[in-house]
Amino acid sequence: MKWRAAILAAGVCGWLVSAAGQQPQQNFDNVKIQVTPVQKNIYMLFGAGGNVTVQVGKDGVLLIDTEFEPLVPKLMAEIKKLSDGPIQYIINTHVHGDHVGGNDAFYKLIPKNPQLPLNIIAHANVLNRLTAPGPNGAPGTSTAEHPGFPEDEYDTPYKDFYYNGEPIFIYHEPNAHTDGDSVILFRGSDVVTTGDIFTPDSYPFIDIARGGSVKGEIDALDHILELTVPADHQEGGTYVIPGHGRVCDEADVVEFRDMVVIVKDRVQDLIKKGKTLDQVKASKPTEDYDTEYGANGADRFVEAVYKSLSGK
Amino acid sequence: MKIFKQIGIAGLLVLTSVPGYSEIDFTGSWTPLFHEDYPERFPGPELGDYMGIPVNAAGRLRGDSYDADRISMVSQYECRPHGSDYNMRGSANLRISRDLDPVTQAPVAFHTFIGFQSAQRTIWLDGRPHPPEYADHSWAGFSTGVWDGNMLNITTTHLKEYYIRRNGVPRSDQAVVTEHWTRHGNYLTVIVVINDPVFLTEPLVRSENWIYDPGQEILPSNCEPAPEVPNPPGVITPHHLPGTNPFLHEVADWYGIPYDAVRGGAETMRPEYRKVMGKPEHVPEKCERYCDCGKDAGACNLH
Amino acid sequence: MRRILFAILIVGAVPALTFAQGGRGGGRGGPPPQGKAGAPVDLSGYWVSPIFEDYRWRMFTPLKGDAASVPINDAARKIVDAWDPAKDEAAGEQCKAYGAAGIMRVPGRLHITWQDDNTLKIETDAGTQTRLFHFTGQAPKEGEPSWQGYSAAKWEVTALPGGPAGVGLGMLPRQGTKSRTLDVVTTQLRPGYLRKNGVPYGANTTLTEYYDHWSEPSGQEWFTVTTVVTDPEYLAIPFVTTTDFKKEPDGSKFNPRPCTAR
Repeated sequence: MKWRAAILAAGVCGWLVSAAGQQPQQNFDNVKIQVTPVQKNIYMLFGAGGNVTVQVGKDGVLLIDTEFEPLVPKLMAEIKKLSDGPIQYIINTHVHGDHVGGNDAFYKLIPKNPQLPLNIIAHANVLNRLTAPGPNGAPGTSTAEHPGFPEDEYDTPYKDFYYNGEPIFIYHEPNAHTDGDSVILFRGSDVVTTGDIFTPDSYPFIDIARGGSVKGEIDALDHILELTVPADHQEGGTYVIPGHGRVCDEADVVEFRDMVVIVKDRVQDLIKKGKTLDQVKASKPTEDYDTEYGANGADRFVEAVYKSLSGK
Repeated sequence: MKIFKQIGIAGLLVLTSVPGYSEIDFTGSWTPLFHEDYPERFPGPELGDYMGIPVNAAGRLRGDSYDADRISMVSQYECRPHGSDYNMRGSANLRISRDLDPVTQAPVAFHTFIGFQSAQRTIWLDGRPHPPEYADHSWAGFSTGVWDGNMLNITTTHLKEYYIRRNGVPRSDQAVVTEHWTRHGNYLTVIVVINDPVFLTEPLVRSENWIYDPGQEILPSNCEPAPEVPNPPGVITPHHLPGTNPFLHEVADWYGIPYDAVRGGAETMRPEYRKVMGKPEHVPEKCERYCDCGKDAGACNLH
Repeated sequence: MRRILFAILIVGAVPALTFAQGGRGGGRGGPPPQGKAGAPVDLSGYWVSPIFEDYRWRMFTPLKGDAASVPINDAARKIVDAWDPAKDEAAGEQCKAYGAAGIMRVPGRLHITWQDDNTLKIETDAGTQTRLFHFTGQAPKEGEPSWQGYSAAKWEVTALPGGPAGVGLGMLPRQGTKSRTLDVVTTQLRPGYLRKNGVPYGANTTLTEYYDHWSEPSGQEWFTVTTVVTDPEYLAIPFVTTTDFKKEPDGSKFNPRPCTAR
């Protein structure tokens, strides 16, 4: 039985890694975890995968996303420098491996305390996809095999609770980056964590296969803009922790949203003129954004927008 | 012991009296002089005018796509200050103050305050490092300065994306801006060098002058964003689709300039470009726009 | 007490004598050296001015009547409106826009050398003009006006004239700011044009320039000249511009060509 579990685990890991579009078997030995204070109770950690949000306070520690599994010991070491308190919450913004990959490892590392149980929260579609049958007909996995899976799931428009002295809102953003995206607002600290809906250093990865769409992506960005309030002359105020990249604020989200809208409009115009996907790509609708967001991701982005709009 | 005491006291006095070079004091109130590019800097640049900018194809397309309606329809644009590099084009009056170390009296920082949108910036002189790559960016960026004789050399990183010119030619958030400030009597000369790997093929160098104006008062600028015009149905961000901007030939026709020159690019900025540049499509008989801009040191009016 | 004071005087006097001349070293006493010997920066070589600013007024001959940005007065406005390049050509005045007050704005290259230890020479390929910066003092009283006038130059020293730049805690002089600027004042100018389309400057013009050398982080050298044109006849206030010159590795692109009135 052990060998079967090992194969399944390897399959799920491989699936999770490939779902994120990352190279398998990445060497994490030289990855250093960078820590930056964001605002009040909130810190941002990043290493090789998605950004990790850490909220600390008198109640304990809350994490958003968990990076890749091999980095968990290093993440824990940095978190311990910020707080000795127990980790009571993990929230996953979406299903991709560079954001949920460390869940199991965190679950194993965190001391069990019946009075202070660990709550791992995500939208229901995240757990659905994690436990769904894998590629090539491999059977789905269970939470018994992966205790780090987010069993505290929600399927309402939002979920809220109070922790470390502030209200926390978890908003579901339907069919954006994926169909299980959550955006989290720390109302007291005035910080928003967006997951991969917002990635200021790269084109958004609209995961059509997992329910993503360009309309949902734009709607989600618009919702983030409703949550953010700049402090003075369009700067500061609500800080935004993106899925990848630097700490941002509302003005940065606007630039990103505008880019997505403009590229969408260009692709839409070409579809109206009857262009095929290859013809749309050849016309380079992202040409003026490629250096900023990375030419490597341009085709994937354009393809996702095309499929989103054309239904093909 | 007495002789050692005497020498020690004398030595102390010599050490504290070693003559040192002082630094320029930039503090005070300054008014920008608009004796160069007045129409562009104050009323605003013409659409499609990329002259004098070593812009690449990406920057041109961004400029061609730009629709100024964005500032009205996207409320988050309404109260933006300029980036600190653009501010030094002289968009508004300037006040410079400085912090001194209380013990050594050495300058620790200069602070600038520009009237437009109350833009503030700190230029650190104490040798502190710039923030890491993943720190947040701001309109002012993070600036440090180092003296070289009578010139202050400033390096600014961590800028938010903004414009090189207010007709949509962008400056990315990956740019590093260096400035060189010097003062000659009542003139402050500021040289701004923009290194932008995203939109420029080589550094853009612009230099402006300010005149000392101790009598000026800069009031705070209050701005509250509000929806000003309704968006047309389906329009989130106004822009021109590629190849559809109808305004790009205006500046060439108004001023009798070859269209290729209007499109900018490093090759158009060398003296030898005059040998290869094309002919303008239309040359007015005489000046029809901004002809008296700045006359008698006054305003810059279209007619 | 007397011995302490005596010791202070003796110990303090030595560096006071050493630094008495202020400025940037050199012999004992007197003002800092000028000319080639006193140069804090090296302006020699070939330089080009990429046209980043005032593009449509410099790269092209502006349209007749276009005086945008120049603080001209009514008298100048009449001249601007009457500009006729054919008349300038007929009168042999094709070089009116290449005089000292305007030449640094004309697209072109410079070749800067030391003609002798006290004269810095600037040759322009545009209009084949030569400017001489004399470090020996003011213009002669009976000078003949010319396109380039007479330029009196000095390396800027910001210490107070005629004495030590203030006194520090001890008895030693401050040396003012360690300036790297070249100051040039040009007079005896023939009336010319600030721009090729006839924006004028008159015979009583004084041209004050400040040359500042700087480098990019890459090491690429530049200098910026701040030009202040003071003309009581045609300008409401002094006309102040800055022009940036980039150093070139050699003179292969230096292209002497004659003045043109158009």
